[in-house]
Amino acid sequence: METDPYKLLDKWLKTKKFNVIGRGMERTDALDKVLGRAKYVEDYFSDGMLFGSLVKSEQSHALIQHIDISGVEHLSDSCSVFTAEDIPGTNEVGYTIPDQPLLAAKKVRFHGEPIALVVAEDPDLAKEGTELVKIRYKPLKSVFDPLEAIDSKIRVHEEQGSNIVLKTHSSKGNIVEGFSKSDVLVKHTYRTHYQDHAYLETEGAVAFPASNGVRVIGSIQYPHLAQQITARVLGIGTDQVEVVQAVVGGAFGGKDDMGPLLCAQAALIAFKLGKPAMVTYSREDSMIAHCKRDPAVVEYKSGATRDGKLSAIEARIIFDSGAYANRGPFTLWRATMHASGPYEVPNARVEGYLVYTNKVFQGSFRGFGNPPVQFAVESQMDELAEKLGMDPLEFRLKNILRKGSRTLTNQLLEDSVGIGEALSKAKEKSNWKEKRTEYRKASGDKVKGIGVACGWHGISTSQGVPDWSNALIKIDREGKVAAYTGITEIGQGTHTGHVQVVSEVLGIPTDLIKIEGGTTAAPDTGATHASRGMSVGGIGLILAAEKLKQKMEKTAARLLACTSSQVRFGRGLVFSAKSPERSIRWNDLIEECYKEKIELSAEGYFGLPKGKFDGKKGQGFAYPTFSYIVNVAEVEVDLRTGMTKVLRIWPALASGKIINPVQVEGQVEGAIAQGLGYALMEEIALKDGVVLNPNFTDYLIPTTFDMPEIEKPIYVEDLFRYGPFGAKGVGEMSLIPTPSAISNAVYHATGSRIRELPATPEKLYWTIKSAAESRTKQRKEGTSP
Amino acid sequence: MKEGKVLVRFRLNGKPVETFTKPNDTLLNLLRRNLGITSVKRGCEVGECGACTVLLDGNPVVSCLILAPTVEGKEITTIEGISKEGELHPLQQAFIKAGAVQCGFCTPGMILTAKALLDKNPNPSLREIKEAIQGNLCRCTGYTKIIQAIQLASKEIKSSCISD
Repeated sequence: METDPYKLLDKWLKTKKFNVIGRGMERTDALDKVLGRAKYVEDYFSDGMLFGSLVKSEQSHALIQHIDISGVEHLSDSCSVFTAEDIPGTNEVGYTIPDQPLLAAKKVRFHGEPIALVVAEDPDLAKEGTELVKIRYKPLKSVFDPLEAIDSKIRVHEEQGSNIVLKTHSSKGNIVEGFSKSDVLVKHTYRTHYQDHAYLETEGAVAFPASNGVRVIGSIQYPHLAQQITARVLGIGTDQVEVVQAVVGGAFGGKDDMGPLLCAQAALIAFKLGKPAMVTYSREDSMIAHCKRDPAVVEYKSGATRDGKLSAIEARIIFDSGAYANRGPFTLWRATMHASGPYEVPNARVEGYLVYTNKVFQGSFRGFGNPPVQFAVESQMDELAEKLGMDPLEFRLKNILRKGSRTLTNQLLEDSVGIGEALSKAKEKSNWKEKRTEYRKASGDKVKGIGVACGWHGISTSQGVPDWSNALIKIDREGKVAAYTGITEIGQGTHTGHVQVVSEVLGIPTDLIKIEGGTTAAPDTGATHASRGMSVGGIGLILAAEKLKQKMEKTAARLLACTSSQVRFGRGLVFSAKSPERSIRWNDLIEECYKEKIELSAEGYFGLPKGKFDGKKGQGFAYPTFSYIVNVAEVEVDLRTGMTKVLRIWPALASGKIINPVQVEGQVEGAIAQGLGYALMEEIALKDGVVLNPNFTDYLIPTTFDMPEIEKPIYVEDLFRYGPFGAKGVGEMSLIPTPSAISNAVYHATGSRIRELPATPEKLYWTIKSAAESRTKQRKEGTSP
Repeated sequence: MKEGKVLVRFRLNGKPVETFTKPNDTLLNLLRRNLGITSVKRGCEVGECGACTVLLDGNPVVSCLILAPTVEGKEITTIEGISKEGELHPLQQAFIKAGAVQCGFCTPGMILTAKALLDKNPNPSLREIKEAIQGNLCRCTGYTKIIQAIQLASKEIKSSCISD
């Protein structure tokens, strides 16, 4: 009987034939969703419930001198107002460092910061009440530009000596030597911007008073974190807070941050007033007050030798944290340690700065710090290749990470690395060579181009941050299986993948299995982020299912008249390896186990082994494994308008075992859409820290006509030794190289390079125009051949 | 009659409804709050996202922009009204089969818009499909599988018409 988790995982890693793994099983939640039965937070609406509506700061940086709520009190007897003073526990919700209140107390640090909640029995009345809360501010000087904020005397957090929240760095080799050996150098600055998650369901939570505390149903990504923060705000124990996820209408990282805050807001009302309470953000509240992808400035220099090898990189990354640190320390760290791209670089020096400004705070968003830096890397790879006179795809192949390579942080890649193969296959499939030559020759108002970009992404949590998988599986007397995991279903389809994992290991039909996920009633499985839900989340399920089989083996052996080691599970039957024609039904075995008083529940736990990281040098173990992605993009640019139409994308994934290809395609297609929006149209318009476009008329996200044809992804299944069946993680991948694949294709089409996102038609038009003017000027002056 | 409220009578999914509404309330709120039809989703409340789409006399409308009293005498269809005798509409089946559902928040509105299209034009071109659903935002799928699902349903409907 094998009990060593490493050996059990290895057994499944080496398995070649599967029943359900690798199949495009239909989602377990699809039926409820097409019938409109799926219950999201706001669908828990009921009479007698209280509704909280947000009062937001009208100042970017100010002291709160007085909050006058008399207007609300006159509105209706049933109305009340909650401010920081009403918080019974600790008014502190910062994710990384304790710098952020749930409701601003003495000072506001960004326009839109939550100050109060107006509570009423009618949601419209609560909303009306927010207009009647009068706040007297003493305005302070604000700082909005992160580069200015570095040296500014204006302190976003007055108690801190500087607006720099955190510095990161990584260095290896000797960049002076590396650059001096380089035959070509490229140096530029790249700018990226806020991106709004724009999930169709805004933030929300509903809380119910419970006998010893509260029960909260939220739009969340990590029930145990929501529990911890809610308990802290209420000043009660975590055992007094139960958190369950509702069906979540899109999350993409944003509800990892916002989920706990909304849970705490709703719980505060329910706990204090003893009635069920719901808080939901309007679209405007959401776009003004919820965290977004970190704006970044990346100064990047790289060098390569004539033979096409990268010799050195130097990068300075400035992340605009907004008013609070939130996830910034982690997004910046990730950006820093990914700053080489998926390439071998002998000499590197990367520095990162996270800087406070008086703007809406940054947070988790698919790609998590990586997209801005990969935009810089992949732009430079193309520019280096051009200077070397090489094909940009071939140049990448010469430098690409392979098995046995060492990363920027000197982490040895011991498992197979599939990105080289993915790149070669994408080249073939997209007809790369022909198109690169053909499109060059084109002329006219509409020009086509084709570009490539790679991406890599460390899976799960970084460096020494504890990382584990945990799951509990129970089998009832009818043979039905319930698997408990803290991993949430946020639309990505992970719970369907989890069903496939349990089905494969227990050898039973998928319809016998139910995932009880996203609840504090399940073991803490860590957050559903960092592309870890399917992979890391699945490990515990394999181990728990294996334990259950072991519990039943003796009974099965007796019924089958064979030894325990000969017992096999499959096709809903239990049989003997010696004589497979002899079998017993799953249900009969379960019944027999109940009769024999065998307890049929088991927990599967696995602590991921992690190496050491030297913080001084920024060298060492960064992530448990890496997923890789290639996108080839074909575009058409209208030179008269600067409008870019993305025609087609060829994605190629090296993300380990693909558990459910249909769900993976969904992740790839959806992430490309978000990457395309980030690259071409999505832009939060800010003036003095005020969001000017908190709606979908002025903040554009892709619609059907913006989307390209997306080819079926190429899969190179480079297995991760601890992943379930070798799975790594997919959710974030395709977003990461999409902006640079598009911008490299735009360059191929127009000869104009975009270094600031989004490449809106207006911006691209002027870039093309000024590039054309400088070419004409050069020709006239005879400086160009 | 409740104070300050007006009576509105219409057909909801084929059944007559009589209810009181605030005169300035939206059809979205009437359906969700008064009648418990929570499949109609609130996404933006200003007609930008399409999540609250219902069929008004067979045409897709965003219910957040319709004042509740104006549906007097009309026929409203929500996702609850499109499956007959417990059998899923071909679009519902196709959305499941094609993997067109992710978070599901846009799904009811998307399916209703697609139904209105297929009812009028059982054999739409790719462009016609894109045009029909361009007002329904989806942040999860990139629309690829949604379009495939509508194409699949269109084929299903045609072949079932032939066999009828």
